[in-house]
Amino acid sequence: MKKVSSLTELGFADDVHRALFRPIQQAAPPSPTKRHTKISVIGAGNVGMAIAQTILTQDLTDELALVDAKPDKLRGEMLDLQHAAAFLPRTRILASPDYAVTVDSDLCIITAGARQIPGETRLNLLQRNLSLFKEIVPPLARYSPGALLLVVSNPVDVLTYIAWKLSGFPPNRVIGSGTNLDSSRFRFLLADHLEVNAQDVQAYMVGEHGDSSVALWSSISVGGVPILSQFTKDVAAIEQGVLERIRKAVVDSAYEVIRLKGYTSWAIGYSVASLARSLLRDQHRIHPVSLLAKGFYGIPDDREVFLSLPAQLGRSGILSVANIQLTDEEAGRLQRSAEALWDLQQKLDL
Amino acid sequence: MKKVSSLSELGFADDIHRTLFRPIQQAAPPSPTQRRTKISVIGAGNVGMAIAQTILTQDLTDELALVDAKPDKLQGEMLDLQHAAAFLPRTRILASPDYAVTANSDVCIITAGARQIPGETRLNLLQRNLALFKEIVPPLARYSPGTLLLVVSNPVDVLTYIAWKLSGFPPNRVIGSGTNLDSSRFRFLLADHLEVNAQDVQAYMVGEHGDSSVALWSSMSVGGVPILSQLTNDKAVMEQGVLEKIRKAVVESAYEVIRLKGYTSWAIGYSAANLARSLLRDQHRIHPVSLLAKGFYGIPDDREVFLSLPAQLGRSGVLSVANIHLSDEEAARLRRSANTLWELQQKLDL
Repeated sequence: MKKVSSLTELGFADDVHRALFRPIQQAAPPSPTKRHTKISVIGAGNVGMAIAQTILTQDLTDELALVDAKPDKLRGEMLDLQHAAAFLPRTRILASPDYAVTVDSDLCIITAGARQIPGETRLNLLQRNLSLFKEIVPPLARYSPGALLLVVSNPVDVLTYIAWKLSGFPPNRVIGSGTNLDSSRFRFLLADHLEVNAQDVQAYMVGEHGDSSVALWSSISVGGVPILSQFTKDVAAIEQGVLERIRKAVVDSAYEVIRLKGYTSWAIGYSVASLARSLLRDQHRIHPVSLLAKGFYGIPDDREVFLSLPAQLGRSGILSVANIQLTDEEAGRLQRSAEALWDLQQKLDL
Repeated sequence: MKKVSSLSELGFADDIHRTLFRPIQQAAPPSPTQRRTKISVIGAGNVGMAIAQTILTQDLTDELALVDAKPDKLQGEMLDLQHAAAFLPRTRILASPDYAVTANSDVCIITAGARQIPGETRLNLLQRNLALFKEIVPPLARYSPGTLLLVVSNPVDVLTYIAWKLSGFPPNRVIGSGTNLDSSRFRFLLADHLEVNAQDVQAYMVGEHGDSSVALWSSMSVGGVPILSQLTNDKAVMEQGVLEKIRKAVVESAYEVIRLKGYTSWAIGYSAANLARSLLRDQHRIHPVSLLAKGFYGIPDDREVFLSLPAQLGRSGVLSVANIHLSDEEAARLRRSANTLWELQQKLDL
């Protein structure tokens, strides 16, 4: 990968730096324990670049590496970010089709994969993405054996399971973006209706990212006030299946954006940057993300599936899963999702 | 323009808000002097959306309006931003093909226009964009008679002149993004070579945005230290026309990104957001932007052309032009640009 046109190649004096700046005496070389955060983003498409650009704007990392199979597109995207140097804190930006550029990453974010076609369910994407992950995950793991892996590509729950298997990493270090964004869309709809700030709406969608996600109605609160009892006062809300229609509206809103503009990018960019921040800055914040769900909420220990549950995130990845009260109905849906994913995973050539 | 699916339409009780929250007694209605900042972005393409998203991430405005001729694309982009509500401060986001949505804007940013085809000079775009501006600028000015107009569409200098004429605004309120980004690219190349932070590199490109921009070598400094003498001490640098090669590399870098990824977006997004911040927050910062340049640096008073000069920006727009020393050569190049633009403008059907 050709480096950006160095001024040296244009004849600019190499020793100008020495003429302008002088080190102090007896300066020691950098300490080997010097910490320099590095994030690698695999896939420089709309999603990958929205994530990369949001991470840059929010100043979350010292070094950002981009990987893509298309070298020209990749180089163009790298230059477009570098050209903003005067408007951003100094972040080292690298790009290469060669995974060596990801070496020593703290966090690797995988967005590579086929774009969801309108009408195509996320599960239909699976076969196309499995062979791609066989090329991506092993080199990532080799170059950054201690990294956190964050999978965004869809269908995210199965692909996170695949990434876990292919990497050999402990499960706390392999996370899928899961329902973090679904929950944001859910909170947006509620907040918009209630005219409150979305950040004051506590509302989780969990389970499988997509058509069979589970809305945790029983644990919604606004400004700390649980609100399900408010709904149940209005019997009509329950009888007309309003809650289920709202859940479907959340699921549908992703397809709606894809139908209208061709893909989604901005929201997933913010969602993943938010996860990156919680992980790298050891925030111990709770996010609904796709994780190894066996043993939780009645999911049997032999069902090695990844589903979204509210989890505490920090520098070592998944710190714990929040013990949120689920109704029998909600737990039942989770268990059914686990079975469906497990059956699907059996059919994979892993 | 259909509003995002309100939960009301799904049967969600409208009076939930009243049961969750109660106002204090004797609260007065909002004061008429209550100030809410509003930015409108015209054009929801790659450039417009990069600008909108960066403005949102950097929390620069209370209200953001998007306008585009393609209603589906526009609706999709608006939803994609709204879905990130859980990750952002609460910003009201509106979108419509109808300019009424821009009413009472503090800044209107015009990005609409044809995309520059590889090999096409910026000047070739002109005729295509003039007709478009006749549809855009008059309604913008009518709905927000006190707004600041920031033109990004290319060729930016002539289009800023056109926007000025069509709006009837005083010239301090009509600004083109000009060489703000070229200067950032210039500073990036220098900073990368010198291994300093780009924000410590003072280096302006001025004049016409594009092929005949002027690099102000004489006023370049790093950490406050002028560096031209360092460069010109090197005879090889002067003899081989290195400085001009560097200037051309800056100009070429835009075309390079277009050739590699099809368009530019991220860098111009940061550049425009940076200008929006200086304007709205009355920062009195100096940026090279396209402004009415007559009377400066020997440009005659009858040459009503817009060219980039380092200008102090604040809430009322262009506050002043910095009195930077130009060499005779640099001033002459500016005047030649002014003449070229003036002749071009005479041919326009304004």
